[in-house]
Amino acid sequence: MVAVKFEVKNGCFSYEKGGRQVLSGVSFALEPGELTAVLGPNGAGKTTFLRCMTGLLPWRSGESLLDGEPLRSFRPAQLWRRLAYVPQARGAASALKVEEMVLLGRSSRFSALSQPSKEDAGKAGEAIERLHLEGLRGRPCSQLSGGELQMVLIARALAAEPEMLVLDEPESNLDFKNQLIILETLTELAEKGMTCVFNTHYPAHALQRAHRSLLLARDGSWRFGESAGVITEESIASAFGVKAVIGEIETPHNIYKDILPVSVLTMELDAPEEPTGEETEMETRIAIIGIIVEDREAAERINELLHEFGQYVVGRMGMPYPKKNVSIISVIMDGPEDVISSLSGRLGMLRGVSIKTTYSKR
Amino acid sequence: MKKLDSRGRGGRALAAAVLLLLPLLAACAALTFGRYSLSVGELARALFGAESDPQARKVLLTIRLPRVVLALLVGGGLSVAGTAFQSLFANPLATPDTLGVASGASLGAAVGLLLGFGLAAVQLLALAGGILAVALTWLASAGPQRRSIVTIVLAGLIMSSLFSALISLVKYVADPESQLPAITYWLMGSLSSANWGSLALGAPFILGGTAVLLALRWRLNILPLSDDEAKATGTNLRALRAVVILASTMITASCVSMCGQVGWVGLLIPHICRMLFGSNNQRLAPASVCAGAAFLVIVDTLARTLTAAEIPISILTAIIGAPVFLALLRRTGGWSL
Repeated sequence: MVAVKFEVKNGCFSYEKGGRQVLSGVSFALEPGELTAVLGPNGAGKTTFLRCMTGLLPWRSGESLLDGEPLRSFRPAQLWRRLAYVPQARGAASALKVEEMVLLGRSSRFSALSQPSKEDAGKAGEAIERLHLEGLRGRPCSQLSGGELQMVLIARALAAEPEMLVLDEPESNLDFKNQLIILETLTELAEKGMTCVFNTHYPAHALQRAHRSLLLARDGSWRFGESAGVITEESIASAFGVKAVIGEIETPHNIYKDILPVSVLTMELDAPEEPTGEETEMETRIAIIGIIVEDREAAERINELLHEFGQYVVGRMGMPYPKKNVSIISVIMDGPEDVISSLSGRLGMLRGVSIKTTYSKR
Repeated sequence: MKKLDSRGRGGRALAAAVLLLLPLLAACAALTFGRYSLSVGELARALFGAESDPQARKVLLTIRLPRVVLALLVGGGLSVAGTAFQSLFANPLATPDTLGVASGASLGAAVGLLLGFGLAAVQLLALAGGILAVALTWLASAGPQRRSIVTIVLAGLIMSSLFSALISLVKYVADPESQLPAITYWLMGSLSSANWGSLALGAPFILGGTAVLLALRWRLNILPLSDDEAKATGTNLRALRAVVILASTMITASCVSMCGQVGWVGLLIPHICRMLFGSNNQRLAPASVCAGAAFLVIVDTLARTLTAAEIPISILTAIIGAPVFLALLRRTGGWSL
């Protein structure tokens, strides 16, 4: 898969000319093969951001760049075979069969006057198999459940063989299990090199799954960066007006981050005037991350990550344990707490990896 | 009940063959029926043989054949236009007339009849009226914001009622002895005035429009999606909508200009085909053309042979169509887009 470079530079949007800016000067760059979450309260412009970002809605000012070229300079068919958009599955009434719906995703690959070829049908079939939807092939979309339909829409996007997926609230309105299926699918796609951006109502999902997050507030301010750095109790208080506790849930295998909303902050919180995107100074801590690697492929990703956070790594020890075919790694860190928790978060997202982080008291 | 297309490849090929043969068989049968009835042998001789009854040949070539050809064209054309509009408006109740084309064409014809024009001039006026009505609908739907499908439909509704009012006005001022019956009869729709001259003028519009819609049949599937989804398939949505509206308008205006308003076909046939063959326009559009052509040939043959006086065709399409439709609805458990 070709590594796609996607950037938004100084994107501004308001519904009326000169009206209230829903998005003001948003800039971000996506890394290939990363999962990026866009968060914010209702009305902060999450969907608007995705629509502007993909060119479905024009920016008032600023621009989106794909491989350094403005999106506007692409012909639609060219753009939409590299970039795929997955709308929210709101009980679409189409009676098209699942295989036909997925095949629609191939439309950017042939001219308007021609019909899908055998090859197109083959690619649509591959997308269906990739998401394990074979059982749904012949079912009309109107009879699918919300979770099934959302998966079909993702398959439709994949059928175009894009380099990048943009999803509008893919896991909203779904039950527990289906949310997990969608998030797992996105994680898996990102691991295989697909650049994914998704809107979400759940900060916890961003914290658990996304490498980076963009947090939009109603007043037009925004923050972008490593999920653990962006999603903090303070930023949630100022963006959502909710007092929340970020905690960790331990299981025998892993530590999971979670966010518990505690109470609504009744007084109107003015957004603290901190420079956007910049990390606040934090006390440094010593921590030891214990890792058990059961999947060889993950070992490589772990090395990459440790390299990325190299400046905070004080020491590391690795030990293969051939008897059980696993490796055991322990990493000692000295750095700001949120950096360490960001690393442990990202390690925890890898498949076949169990981790636990122990922090020093101070 | 399972739909036909779920019976696999063989069933699908069989259905396609039956659909293609249906209009041809119906047309051949229709040519033999009538007050001057012909046997199949006489029909073949009159069409292809040298030594035939000149009387039979004349009836066949100047009266019956153009009429059957007209029925094929109008039935197929209105059905595919209806199919396209139902996709375009993502609404199962859309008909080829949703944007006011039939009212516009009728007004054109009524004005032509009022002014005592010849048949060719009436046909041209009707064609122009239909296209004018849709053009006005298109202009009226443009607001400060981009055109949405809802505003287009609303504008079509307004144009339809405006043109209907104008038709009433024309009827009101028409001479009740001669012009009013002519206008009223014309509005009810009839294929009796079919001749090669009017076909030469009208057929290219129907054939051209149908060809365009058939070529775009895969993209018709994209039209019912939300705007964002449709654009994200890499389709130029505005151009696609404009072409579909233009092609359908040409078909419908030309149909109305040749035989008045033939109701029901454009609504009924697409739905029957959808119940039988599924919602994929790739199969649905060609199926609609064939089924619509066959349906109208059969109904028109009944219209001219059931009684001594001809029955207006719209009455028959409704009387025959409604029960067939209901029966299918009960058997297949309904339809959706």
